[in-house]
Amino acid sequence: MLLLAYLIPGLIILALLPLRRYPLRSRSFLNLLTIAHAAIYLAVTFFILLNVSLPRYFFNERYLFIDLLGAYEVLIASIVFLLAALYARGYIQSLLRTREIDGRNLKLFYGSLNMLFMVIALAFYANNLALFWIFLELTTILSAVLIVTLNAKENILAALKYVFIASTAMLFSFIGIILMFAITQQALGAGTLNWSELMVQAKTLPASLFILAFMFMFTGFAAKAGIVPFHTWLPPAHAKAPSVISALLSAVLLNTGIYGILRLYAIAHRTSAIRPISFMLIAFGVVSMGVAAFSMLSRENIKKLVAFSSIEHMGLLVIGVGLGTPVALFWVLFHTLGHALIKSLLFFSAGIVHHQFASNKYYDMKNMLTLQPVASTGIIVGGAAIIGTPLFPLFFSKLFILVQLGELSMPLLFLVLLLLLIVAAAFAVFLVRACCRGGEGEPTPPYRVPWTMKAPIISLLVLIVMLGVFFPQPLNVLLNNIVAGLGF
Amino acid sequence: MIFVPYDLIRVLFVLVLCTAALMITQRSLSSLFSIYAAQSLLLAFIALALLWKTGIENLAFMAGLTILSKVIVIPYVLNKIQKDIYTKRDLEFSYLSPVSSILISAALVFVVYKSFSTFLVDLSRDKVFFLGAVMGVSLVLIGMLIIFSRKQMITKIVGYLTMENGVLLFSMFIAELPFIIEVLIILDLIILTLISAILAFGLDSSMKEFHRKLNPFTFWFKK
Amino acid sequence: MTSFAGYVFLNTAFVLLISPLFISLIKKAKAWTQGRNGPPLLQTYFMLAKLMKKEVVYSSTSSVIMRISPYLNLTFLLAASVFVPLLFIPEPAAGIGNVFFFLYLLVGAKFFMALAGLDAGSTFGGMGSSREMTVSAVIEPVVIIVFATLAFVFKTMNLHEMFAQSLGASLPLNPAVLLISISLFIILIVETSRIPVDNPETHLELTMIHEAMDLESSGPNLAMMELSHAIKQTLLMGLLINVLMPWGLALEAGPVGIGVAAIMFILKGSILAVVVGFIESSLAKMRLFRLPALFMQAFFFAFVTILFEVLGRL
Repeated sequence: MLLLAYLIPGLIILALLPLRRYPLRSRSFLNLLTIAHAAIYLAVTFFILLNVSLPRYFFNERYLFIDLLGAYEVLIASIVFLLAALYARGYIQSLLRTREIDGRNLKLFYGSLNMLFMVIALAFYANNLALFWIFLELTTILSAVLIVTLNAKENILAALKYVFIASTAMLFSFIGIILMFAITQQALGAGTLNWSELMVQAKTLPASLFILAFMFMFTGFAAKAGIVPFHTWLPPAHAKAPSVISALLSAVLLNTGIYGILRLYAIAHRTSAIRPISFMLIAFGVVSMGVAAFSMLSRENIKKLVAFSSIEHMGLLVIGVGLGTPVALFWVLFHTLGHALIKSLLFFSAGIVHHQFASNKYYDMKNMLTLQPVASTGIIVGGAAIIGTPLFPLFFSKLFILVQLGELSMPLLFLVLLLLLIVAAAFAVFLVRACCRGGEGEPTPPYRVPWTMKAPIISLLVLIVMLGVFFPQPLNVLLNNIVAGLGF
Repeated sequence: MIFVPYDLIRVLFVLVLCTAALMITQRSLSSLFSIYAAQSLLLAFIALALLWKTGIENLAFMAGLTILSKVIVIPYVLNKIQKDIYTKRDLEFSYLSPVSSILISAALVFVVYKSFSTFLVDLSRDKVFFLGAVMGVSLVLIGMLIIFSRKQMITKIVGYLTMENGVLLFSMFIAELPFIIEVLIILDLIILTLISAILAFGLDSSMKEFHRKLNPFTFWFKK
Repeated sequence: MTSFAGYVFLNTAFVLLISPLFISLIKKAKAWTQGRNGPPLLQTYFMLAKLMKKEVVYSSTSSVIMRISPYLNLTFLLAASVFVPLLFIPEPAAGIGNVFFFLYLLVGAKFFMALAGLDAGSTFGGMGSSREMTVSAVIEPVVIIVFATLAFVFKTMNLHEMFAQSLGASLPLNPAVLLISISLFIILIVETSRIPVDNPETHLELTMIHEAMDLESSGPNLAMMELSHAIKQTLLMGLLINVLMPWGLALEAGPVGIGVAAIMFILKGSILAVVVGFIESSLAKMRLFRLPALFMQAFFFAFVTILFEVLGRL
């Protein structure tokens, strides 16, 4: 019945969409439905986290379950959903005004958006690896549809690239899943793909075969999470999508990939194959950070800059997962929360800037601070937060993950610190270029930002500062329980 | 003339790989679709032959599902989309010459064979199952070769479908998944193909046409 | 030894006798598909007889190669015909029957034909020779791999033993044989210059590959070239038939056995000839530069056959 609370709003909305009666034709009503959907998710998740004893299994432990990690991820996702739905209200209105989106596609947009909410929640709650895979593929398809609702040809290319790279990598992942099934079948008699059973039985799995299966599965999840070398879809897709969708992609969808890798690592931790896997994960993470850092230096497009920053943060997360100590994992989980909030802030602000200047490039942005104070604050604070300045949440997570890395190997720590410095420099350069121009030419009319677009940004700013200054005790307990539940 | 099922399966393997090789060198789009349909049909036959030998009823459903979706529905959808793009392009242009593509695929098959014989031999019950795994992964790699060496989007979609066939083959021989999972996977594949095909159509046509096509797809969302 | 000489005599005579028949059959099959009646079945015999009566004309710039190459061609092919028993399988004699020796004989014949094409000094002859050599350079690896697969499957390199084994087993020894037959069929098409590789009935020199080499021959020389082409066709057909369906082939030399074998072979050969004719009629000639792609597919096919059938069984 708890699951139904997640499924019912989505299904109701989907059932209502085909109707043509008046309320359902106005976009503000559709938007209200979406906001309500997200709010219900948030409420239910809070309820689950506070009152229900987890883990809870459904359908005879075979297919779906709610456990602490899943609930936590859905919590992060619901916060982002709610804020994005609110932001979309004003954003879509402006897109319609500038004819960047077609009025007839709104139902498609909102339909896919709501389905995306549902599928993401189901993905986090899947117990079965194959079911998780199916939901991940569905998220790829739905987000690709969301990307192409804009009226631009480059979007189609970006969406196609996304679909192809993600799906191709997920096919490799599926081979890994089948291998896993076969391995468990051989080791245990009856094959299983459930996270819970795999965790229990991990000790009996043969190491070399498990490494093979892990490598295949990692390919798919890494592509969804944006790890080099499977990351090539990320910059175009995140940059060309409407900003509200970019926020969702960066904050929530990348999390699904990291979630998969995290669960896999928890299983790997209990087998004897842990050392090569850790080594591999750390290597991939460092390479991702390197590629992202160097690509960020010469970016002109603000959304591409933020997209590469996502890649860099996912690299850092994979390093953290690869390190495998309880401390590292605790901070990895915290990092996903902080990263989601800050990325949403950045993309929302970038959306406002896009509407103001009709472009994402820094040389088109003049007088940003005077024209769009809220958005500028968002970008500057977001930029500072994303590179890990103290007073913001990512400072702690980066600090502690780096400390753990240093305990493993000092040269690697220096390399990563250098890369982080390059990232900081890239952001600083871009911010200076974007925000410090102006004066010449006739003043452009300021774009009047509706309160529905300001409210998410302001609330995110408040949330981020609060999270950075004050670590809530329930969160502490929750994260500790999750790490313990994963077996570290 | 009684073929032992395993011999039949081996012959079918060779034929499937040859359809893949044919796909690499094909230039005309409609023959690509028919080759893909033939490949899926061969896959269904392999499933039936395996059913004959091992008696797992799941395979019958899978064969039926494969025929329905991959031999009938998907080529039909692809043909429809291709007719709209037909006015623009008919022939294929590739990055790699056909000769080198086939040599590379032969090398890929051999590499997969060699590497799997170190890893996977203990996992399979019989030599045929091991060959099935090698076949599956080589088909996946050949599909990836098609995706990377061709310029046109529709061919890339067919390459992706080939990869999916390879994964299906692999799953038939290494493990049997529960039926509901397979149904969902096929559904997922159909949706993916539809979306990619519509997007591919959108690349060539004007935005108006594209959005018009995007909407009838969601035909019950009429305004 | 006498029985071996007898075998040589009988086999060679049989090959010489029926090769023109198969050529006519293919032409007849193609004519039927085109809705015409086509030339009578014995037409090729009449043509050869007519050519023998004509005088030989040599180009003034040609050398001794032009004069001896038809004879060399025919000799090589007649020697090769000893390797493919069509009537009965003789006792093993040293070296006779080795698959690669057979291949080299065929290539030797082709070599001299190409030289003859160049020798006359005409542009079309040279063009034909160079095209023929290009095509055959690409098909040789395929041929070698296919023969190697044959050797693998039958565990012997001797064609005579292969036929004996194929005869001895009840039915296709191995599904690999079926697959090998497909490759052998492709080789048949390529080596005898049939559509889709080359059009044997074209009159336009620019579209010729094989025919261009025969342009300058006349009289008995031309007859010998045509005959050797027909013999090559028969030998390769015989190879395919006896690997796949060898029933009728006698194991030792007895008049009844030989008679039955002759009739069976003519029957099977006729069916194969008609099939070749139909396939020729249903395809179009491929562009010269697309031919390597076709051959590569045949190569891939043979390679995968080795991998799956042969190695998969070890």
